Amino acid sequence: MKINKTTVLLIIMLIGAIWVFWSCEQEAEEPDSATTGQEIADSHMAQWKRKNPERAKDWVAEEKERHKIMPPADNTDILKGQQADGHTYGRYTELDILTWARETEKFVVEGSRIFHSADLLGGTVGVSCDMCHPDAANTHPETYPKFQAQMGRVALLRDMINWCIENPVRGARLDADSPQMRALEAYIWAQRKGKTLNYGKH
Amino acid sequence: MRKAKHKSVETRHMEERRELYESLKNIDRRSFLKVSAVALGTAMASGLAWPHSFQPASVLSPSTSSQGAESFRFAYISDSHLYKKDLNDRFVRALLRSVDDVNSMDPQPDFVFYGGDLAQLGQVEELELGAQILKDLKAPLKIMVGEHDWYLDMGEKWQELFGEPIQSWDHKGFHFVILNSVIEKDFWTERGMKPMERMMTVAGLDNGMQSSFTVGSEQREWLKNDLSKYSNDTPLIVFSHSPLYKLYKFWNFWTDDAEEVQAILKRFKSVVVIHGHTHQLLTNRIGNIHFHGLLSTAWPWPYAPEGMPELTIEMSRPDPFNPNDGCGNGEVITHTDGLIDKVYSLWNRNPITISSTYTSSWGKRDRPPMPNRPSY
Amino acid sequence: MNFLTLFKNQKGLFILCLLLVGAVVLLAPKANNDQTSDIPKGAHGEATMEYQLQELDKLMPKVDVSETPPGFDPVIWDAFIPEDNKMTPERVALGRKLYFDTRLSKDNSVSCATCHDVTRGFTDQRDVSEGIGGQLGRRNAPTVLNAVLLQTLFLDGRSPSLDHQAKMPITNPIEMGFPDGESAVEAIKDDVEYQKAFQEAYGRDINYEDIGRAIGAFERTLVFLDSPFLRFLSGDKDAISTEEKAGWVLFNGKARCVSCHHLSPSNPLGTDNRFHNIGVAARQPDFEKLAREGLKTLAEDPTEEQLEELALNTDLSELGRFMVTKMRSDVGTFRTSILLNIGITPPYMHDGSLTTLWDVIDHYNAGGEANPFLDGGIEPLALTEAEINQLVAFMFSMTDDRFTEENNRQKKEQKALAEKSRPERDEDMAFRRKLAFEDRAKGIKKQQ
Repeated sequence: MKINKTTVLLIIMLIGAIWVFWSCEQEAEEPDSATTGQEIADSHMAQWKRKNPERAKDWVAEEKERHKIMPPADNTDILKGQQADGHTYGRYTELDILTWARETEKFVVEGSRIFHSADLLGGTVGVSCDMCHPDAANTHPETYPKFQAQMGRVALLRDMINWCIENPVRGARLDADSPQMRALEAYIWAQRKGKTLNYGKH
Repeated sequence: MRKAKHKSVETRHMEERRELYESLKNIDRRSFLKVSAVALGTAMASGLAWPHSFQPASVLSPSTSSQGAESFRFAYISDSHLYKKDLNDRFVRALLRSVDDVNSMDPQPDFVFYGGDLAQLGQVEELELGAQILKDLKAPLKIMVGEHDWYLDMGEKWQELFGEPIQSWDHKGFHFVILNSVIEKDFWTERGMKPMERMMTVAGLDNGMQSSFTVGSEQREWLKNDLSKYSNDTPLIVFSHSPLYKLYKFWNFWTDDAEEVQAILKRFKSVVVIHGHTHQLLTNRIGNIHFHGLLSTAWPWPYAPEGMPELTIEMSRPDPFNPNDGCGNGEVITHTDGLIDKVYSLWNRNPITISSTYTSSWGKRDRPPMPNRPSY
Repeated sequence: MNFLTLFKNQKGLFILCLLLVGAVVLLAPKANNDQTSDIPKGAHGEATMEYQLQELDKLMPKVDVSETPPGFDPVIWDAFIPEDNKMTPERVALGRKLYFDTRLSKDNSVSCATCHDVTRGFTDQRDVSEGIGGQLGRRNAPTVLNAVLLQTLFLDGRSPSLDHQAKMPITNPIEMGFPDGESAVEAIKDDVEYQKAFQEAYGRDINYEDIGRAIGAFERTLVFLDSPFLRFLSGDKDAISTEEKAGWVLFNGKARCVSCHHLSPSNPLGTDNRFHNIGVAARQPDFEKLAREGLKTLAEDPTEEQLEELALNTDLSELGRFMVTKMRSDVGTFRTSILLNIGITPPYMHDGSLTTLWDVIDHYNAGGEANPFLDGGIEPLALTEAEINQLVAFMFSMTDDRFTEENNRQKKEQKALAEKSRPERDEDMAFRRKLAFEDRAKGIKKQQ
């Protein structure tokens, strides 16, 4: 047989046809929709995780590994007592307690993430809160409200946070209701668990 | 209306000296120490910033001054945590101010010691900027490494700029040692951290992923060898970035093998350890070792919630409305008995001196002033 | 020559025009109506005492002096009235008489009102003050307006109360010049009216302490808080303009003024009553040599009068509060100025070295003047021209309504001066292109 252009073309076409035939054979099977659906979902998830390594981790556990977070109060006592069964709104379960603890903790951990990051704070000079307040030391939220002469008014914790963000951190002030401000306050209060309230202490 | 005592500094000086010599006659050693300490205390209490010219301690007991140890001064600047100027000018300005402070000293100190953490994230431009600024110092520079300088490239750039992280030398009868006491056990390889991630982890004071500071067995060997040539009487000053004792583990105000290092130093009559990292007034004494902390030029740390040494009289809580409050530089004045006066030159505050009699008397004499704003 | 011919002739027309212009220039009132030229002047450039008393009557309504001034916090007010000098109409009237009495000076030419002139913002609007014999001091005279609300008096805070401060200039050799308090008492002892007035006020014969008390009592009535700014704070949204409001925002934010110029209902003055080194003293040549000298010299223990002399009459005056406390942290520090009525009390700073409010903002914008004792709160501010104008406008809005005319005059005058020259302006420093201690660290001396 002469090996010329036509021959080569014929061989390619033959291989192509076999391949297509073989692929069709494969797809002739009727797949189990549940399993395939799971695989497809898994592969999508794996793709997403590869594309977003930051958010794929267990950010709560990771942040807790980095920074000490005081745990929220222990509410298990609420399961004791005899009135619970007869109280529509008082029938708490362990799952309730777990949910409260977990959600509270996650919010505080988010606060810790922002507290320790100059970028998340919106700062422009590379300064984060923990540079002067490691583990939220020296934040003393239990002393607010107090008159702060340099602000010309009685300051709450959020006012002092905003002052710090504007001055040492050189960022834009946060709105009191913004998620970042709420999370920062949460973290700071959490770290001062157990301290006595003493408003007005300078 | 108060009547003035018109005495010049010289007159007061001469009177003090005469008083002391009068009392020197026929008294035993204990009363002698009491007299000289009182004279020192009065001068300190008057709030004068410079050490009075007459140092009773130097006349105290000439027999105990060994190997020709002299009284001299060196200055220190520490913990500047520089970013590049475009990002953060405040820290750069503070270091410039320190350099200006030290250059204005009259007379000039024998040398200037830099206590570590020159850069904030160990980056090339940060270290180079710091090196460039420190070049303007008139007196010779001795520099130590801190964790912020080291953990981006494991000290490559720092060593290129500044040489050996571990050194020793002799000066006016004192033996000086610089250690690299921020060695951390490898925590980054198993986590697959990139260099910057490693640096950011170490840079967080309260970041629990990092390991505790150590000196390490290699350095301890080196230290033992280096010191083997010196008698127990030798006045010894050890520079270390981490405190060489265990204060608060969570902030790495801690050296894991502190006991082993202290054991090596135990045989000496007295040892002074001067350490950085803590950015505050800090004083401690363990046996024969007197520990003194350095101020930072960049920002002050709060005091640790537990583990504070008894001897430390804290500085007043810094006021956030003054960005320089709680920061500064300072100097060290050595005495012939091997101990030092540590002067903390805080900006916008009177300097505070922790004198050698304070630590040698276990805090009974020459107490520094109490803070009016205690820390939280 | 025919009058008409004059017109026809071009040269003649030209001469006629010149004559007309000349007449207009000579006879018409000056374009920028310098009203101070109408005021009769005394020996040292102040308005005469009679004129000042007239003006004072116009300014001050009749009030019950034993009451808290309207709108002011009564608890805080009480804290400022000393126990031994409660406010009565007799004491105030006596103090007023003494305040304007030149007999309290050695050469009978200087009274309190000479340097604290009613028509010049209760100061003298000069950089340093002039005393007997035309001698010049070294410090700018602070205003008496609202001085009752200060915690210490004098720019270096060496006087604890108004009653005490009032006596000090009387015995200062370059201000009013009496050798001691007794000579001052001698000077007025024979005045029957005074004898009666002192008896009515204090129930005692004339004595030096009571002279101070009476003047203090009078000064406590000089409360002038009714500015457009205060009305804005109390809720009148239209009391100040948009530009002034923008200035207020900057004051609390980017310009960082509020860190030392505290403003609150209990402290409406705009001062924290503390002492700061912002670098003005450091502009003096050899300031640092002085500082080192001062640190050494004050190992001695000067008396009050010696301190007064050193503080006012020698170069050591530039060391400010340090002369009083001998604390190293006080070298070159002076008390934070009152901001209320700041528009009418130029020139500014302890030595009057900043002429207009624009110069003041330029000074802060550049981060003050670097020196070893500089307050850490002074930083370069990166303020733009528009922001500077807003801040200045805001400051002018802090003048009491009763001084509106003088305030407007100052606004115009200072603006004209500022447009001509701004000696403190330094954009490289303000925008942090150059850092404050950069040159100094390199050993480069500033060009004086």
